[in-house]
This record gives sequence, C-alpha cells and structure tokens, in this order.
Amino acid sequence: MANLAGAMAYDVWDGDDEFAAGRLVPLYILVNGQTSPRNTSLDLATQVVALPRDLNRLEPEYQDIVGRCGAWVSIAELSAFLHLPLAIIKIMVDVLLEQGYLGIGAPAQQQIQDLRLLETVLAGLERL
Amino acid sequence: MDRKSVKVVVAGGFGTGKTTLVGSVSEIPPLTTEEILTQASVGVDDVTGVEGKTNTTVALDFGRITISPDVVLYLFGTPGQDRFWFMWDEIAQGAVGAIVLVDTRRLGTSFPAVDYFERRGLPFVVAVNRFYGECLYSQEEIRGALELDPSVPLLWCDARDRDSSKQVLITLVRRAMSRLPVG
Repeated sequence: MANLAGAMAYDVWDGDDEFAAGRLVPLYILVNGQTSPRNTSLDLATQVVALPRDLNRLEPEYQDIVGRCGAWVSIAELSAFLHLPLAIIKIMVDVLLEQGYLGIGAPAQQQIQDLRLLETVLAGLERL
Repeated sequence: MDRKSVKVVVAGGFGTGKTTLVGSVSEIPPLTTEEILTQASVGVDDVTGVEGKTNTTVALDFGRITISPDVVLYLFGTPGQDRFWFMWDEIAQGAVGAIVLVDTRRLGTSFPAVDYFERRGLPFVVAVNRFYGECLYSQEEIRGALELDPSVPLLWCDARDRDSSKQVLITLVRRAMSRLPVG
C-alpha cells in the first residue's frame, strides 16, 4: 500500500515512551502527519458502521473507533465520544474505510434537493 | 449503504439559547466535539488576542433525532464565537437549513447569522426565544431590525420546551421544501 497512513495502521505501538500524563500517542503520530482525509466527502454528520473484521492488527486508537461503530454513528459523535478533534477523526475514519474496517452511509450532499427525504424528515418530526 | 444523515444548523448570537434548543429536542443529551483551528483559517479568522495560543480549539454542541430506520437528523449549534466561520461552512454544507435564534434584548448579535445564511442561500427561519418572558417588540419591528425578506418565516419559541422547538424545526423543513424547484 502506497499510502503511509494506511500502512501505519498495521504497525504495533509498543507503548514504551509514554508521557507522564495524557494520551500515549501524539495526535500527529496517529495520523502520520496527514492533515486532511483523501475522501473529502467525509462530513461531520457522515455515518459509519463496523464491518465484521478481525481488529488484532489495528492500533488501539483505531480499535477504539471501530469499537464505537457497532451501530451506525456519525463522525461528530465519534469525535465527542473519543475526545479527539474532528480533523483527526476524519483522517482515521478515512484510513479505516479504505482498509475495509468500516462501511459508510450516504455522503453529504452539496445541497439538499431530495423532496422525498425532506418529506420523511417532516413526517418524523411530526411524530415526535 | 443507504444510511442518511440530515443536518440542521442552530445559529444565533451568544446566549440566545442554541444549546438549550438542541437539548430540548435531541434524543441524547447534547454532545460536544472540538475542531482545531488550523493554519489555513488564520488570516480568514480574526485571531487577534489569541496569537500566543498554539492549539486553538473550537467547541461545537450537537444533538440527534432518529427520524426513521435509515435517516438521522443532526442538530449542530454554531460555535459561540462568530469569528470561526470555517466551522460554519462545514456545518452548513449540505444542511437542510438553519434556525437563527434571536434574543430581542440583543438583536444585533443574531445579525451576522442572518447575513451568513442569506449570502449562502441556505433556507432559514428566525425563532425569537421568549426565555426571558414577554417580547416587547412586534414581528414587524423584528423583521425590520433584521432586514428580513418577507418570505423568511419568523416565529416565537421557548427553546426549553420540546414542542416549541419541534415546531421551529417543522417550520424550517417546510420552508426548505417550499424552496425546492417544482417537478
């Protein structure tokens, strides 16, 4: 795999030089210095779900993400649950999508033009 | 996979009740996520006064409503500080529309939000939060002060009340539907 962030997920962190307090791995290491995901359609409301895969080769931080995706969950929720900034979560989710650990819902649209979707939303709100 | 997310933006000046409204209709207590202020946004955003900070983060409150087995609606409150426009862009991208909350004691704090959604062409409704009791102004006075287009819905609400917040959401979705091209 040519992608560095992708290859990185297979390495095992030995946890030797942990900090006195706080997270073990600096955020920029987790994403291998990447600053944006390649899949630019990833939105903070995009939902993902875990696919049945063996997680043993994933680093703990990546396992944590997949572990939170037993049911459909959004990027924003993952960020809130795992206390990681949105930018970092997007890159990590992107890696997991590419490697087939996660499935993705409908991508964010440029503009909502879908009347049937809006009718569904309206009906749902009226039932609340 | 056909799992769909629908976004609604909840905007308004500081202290207008954005998180209160999100909390009153959300099926989960509002969550908070953070974004890092990146180099790319420096120069776009006014960072006067925070030059010394290396890790500026922007907090974002949001909630969710499960609409159907396939559709989840996410309500995103805009960051408290108006200068983080890059976050507004991300929240507004692909959104159904926006709710602009107004506190009539500080009408001016909601003006940037009205201006932003007008320029972006995103459907929005203006909700006057009566959290602090009776409103002293008429609809016409508020419309005039915010320079609202006559077609933009303006309604009273109590952001603490679930039914009231729900009505604001319903008004917004109807407004978004009315703006779709016919056919």
